[in-house]
Amino acid sequence: MATQLRTSPVHEADAVIIGGGITAALVAEKLAELRPGWSVIVVEAGRSLLDFDSRYVYRQRSLDYGENQWPGDFIPDQAPRGMISRTMAVGGSALHWGGVCNRFSEEDTRLKSLYGLAVDWPIEWKELERYYCEAERRLGVSGEPSPLPEDWRSEPYPMPAMPMTWNLIQLKGWAEASGIRFWTTPQAKNTVEGYGGRGKCRRCNTCEICPTGARYSPDFTFKSLLAAKKIQLHDQTLVRRLILDPASTRIAAATGNRLDATGAAVEYRAPRFILASGYCWSTHLLLLSANSRFPDGLANQSDQVGRYMTGHLAFQTTIDLDARIYPGMNEQHSLISREYFRCKPGAPYIRHDLRVWENSGGRGPAMRDANGSLLMADALLTDWRTRISRGTARVRGYFDVHPDADSRLTLDPASKNRFGDPMPSIQHRIDAASESRRAATRAHFDTLFARLARARDGRLGQISALNYQDHPAGGCRMGTDRATSVTDGFGRAHDHDNLFVVGAPTLPTGGCTNSTLTFTALALRSVTEIAKT
Amino acid sequence: MKRRTLLKSVAAALVARPAAGLAQAAQTAASTFTAADIDTLRAIADVVLPEQIGAPARERAVAAFVRWHDRYREGADMGHTYGASTVRTASGPAPARRYPPQFASLQDAAVARGAKSFALLPRDARRAVIEALLNTPTPVTRMPAQPTGASLIADLMGSFFNGPDGWDACYGAEIRRYACRTLDDSAEPPAPIRRG
Repeated sequence: MATQLRTSPVHEADAVIIGGGITAALVAEKLAELRPGWSVIVVEAGRSLLDFDSRYVYRQRSLDYGENQWPGDFIPDQAPRGMISRTMAVGGSALHWGGVCNRFSEEDTRLKSLYGLAVDWPIEWKELERYYCEAERRLGVSGEPSPLPEDWRSEPYPMPAMPMTWNLIQLKGWAEASGIRFWTTPQAKNTVEGYGGRGKCRRCNTCEICPTGARYSPDFTFKSLLAAKKIQLHDQTLVRRLILDPASTRIAAATGNRLDATGAAVEYRAPRFILASGYCWSTHLLLLSANSRFPDGLANQSDQVGRYMTGHLAFQTTIDLDARIYPGMNEQHSLISREYFRCKPGAPYIRHDLRVWENSGGRGPAMRDANGSLLMADALLTDWRTRISRGTARVRGYFDVHPDADSRLTLDPASKNRFGDPMPSIQHRIDAASESRRAATRAHFDTLFARLARARDGRLGQISALNYQDHPAGGCRMGTDRATSVTDGFGRAHDHDNLFVVGAPTLPTGGCTNSTLTFTALALRSVTEIAKT
Repeated sequence: MKRRTLLKSVAAALVARPAAGLAQAAQTAASTFTAADIDTLRAIADVVLPEQIGAPARERAVAAFVRWHDRYREGADMGHTYGASTVRTASGPAPARRYPPQFASLQDAAVARGAKSFALLPRDARRAVIEALLNTPTPVTRMPAQPTGASLIADLMGSFFNGPDGWDACYGAEIRRYACRTLDDSAEPPAPIRRG
């Protein structure tokens, strides 16, 4: 499906997008609308997995054998340390995503002003809100508006909310008995037939590979753009360096190699380059592109590239409760409370989301009873049934932590790809203020989970902490001060006026809920600016 | 993985089940298991799977187990782990490679009890053999989510009980965990399970 490369290794275009994930897909789509005359090339290191018809087969093999849902979606020797997903393919990590489309809250953009923490974002909330709406339209988000006035939205969700299953109805009744309000989680999944040319969700329960196409996936956008000849897509092509114009600080070219058997060198020339490779590979490419004029990497005169790697942490538990739950009705669908997105200035700082799912963990069949006696046949079922007479909920809260300047992506000279390029190594580190809140944050969740458990005679399970920062971002943070940031509020590199970094890398802080919608909203805002150049 | 050649498979099937005819022999020719193996699996299922699900459901469970092994791929891409930068190692040797001595043990136990095959043992005797194999020398304590080859009997049990049909049997409801279905009846509890 990808455009065949010409024999010439040099390709020219009006815009070159480096990266082929969800951000790149939306950037390409919007650019094609705003600048229909421009030639746009999308360059992706991984393979094209645009074979929609194979999804049922991939899904079944994943269910039956645990095989990769997206076979070949990674590059063995592009092996970073500290990254949480190895996906490198057309579609990126959003091939696997669950489609959750929560918005951040205004507080995320005003941490310094409101709480004296971290930094403010160089963008007004009301403006970001408009781009949230645009992102929701493009992705096709179904959702239930929050009645909280601070969650005001200027447009309705494009589609009605995903209906609650029997299980979620029981869980909502229980969870709200605690006095906390919950809503269904907004998702980029069709609840009506035909939105974006895609089918309606059929609760297949494998959102990581949605066989019906109800869940948005970037490959749909790329396929459509390719069919309309609005872009060229060069897959299996690794951009390894950005090259400066010798007479200015503009980027003149991007160079790299094919990752097919030829390994052929390739070069891209364009008046504008858009880095849309996510928090890891965008940052990595800038560091790799160091030269005599920018010895610490491109866009890095401020020494900020690779710093402030961010994300959020979580506490999670299970709660056993007096409700009839049938695990498997729609396991990815969940409830969310936005009541803790806010923190009153002056109060101890804690901000988090709160999610509730049906749960099957720990509820499976057992081969031995409590005395160690063998169970088989009907006796096994009888024993099993005694253990599922009550239901369980899975509960998790992502909470807000802020990155230290030394929360970094660096080049690891000990790990190199086939070309000898050092691979990235990411070490997350939270700042001193976040560190000082650790005990209080844990105490808050202990109390909160216990409160939920008490509602309707629930029993609290073990509380565990996530051991990585989820929905990672940062590394090229945006800001108004070029001494403390890499890009301006539109993602334009302070040091190179024709280089835009879009999406995840530009976030100064990682919020306290799923971030993909925010990545894409910011990227769409960047495109508005890119189209003016 | 093809453990038997076509000729051996056909011959074994004809010897073991002369009445089954060529159609059945041809059906098992491409299978990981011989017809005799499949008879043994049925005889195990008759003991370890719930009686209350009915014979047709047990037969389907055996068929699903056979199909799983027939379609197993060695060296398959197992993807990567979310939350870590690691890639999983490719899938290993077919678990069924470890079954022949286990089938042989079942056969030996049957012969020791005066039967020509495990499948021809009375149910109580089969149960005694199975319990002995699961309790000694080291008790088998878990049914794997997917067959591992370590215990043929536990693999067969795990294949059913850990799968959607096992969960439906437990809950007495047609949850149909991985079946694609309409959103329209989401709010209703799953229908009671139907037999047959």
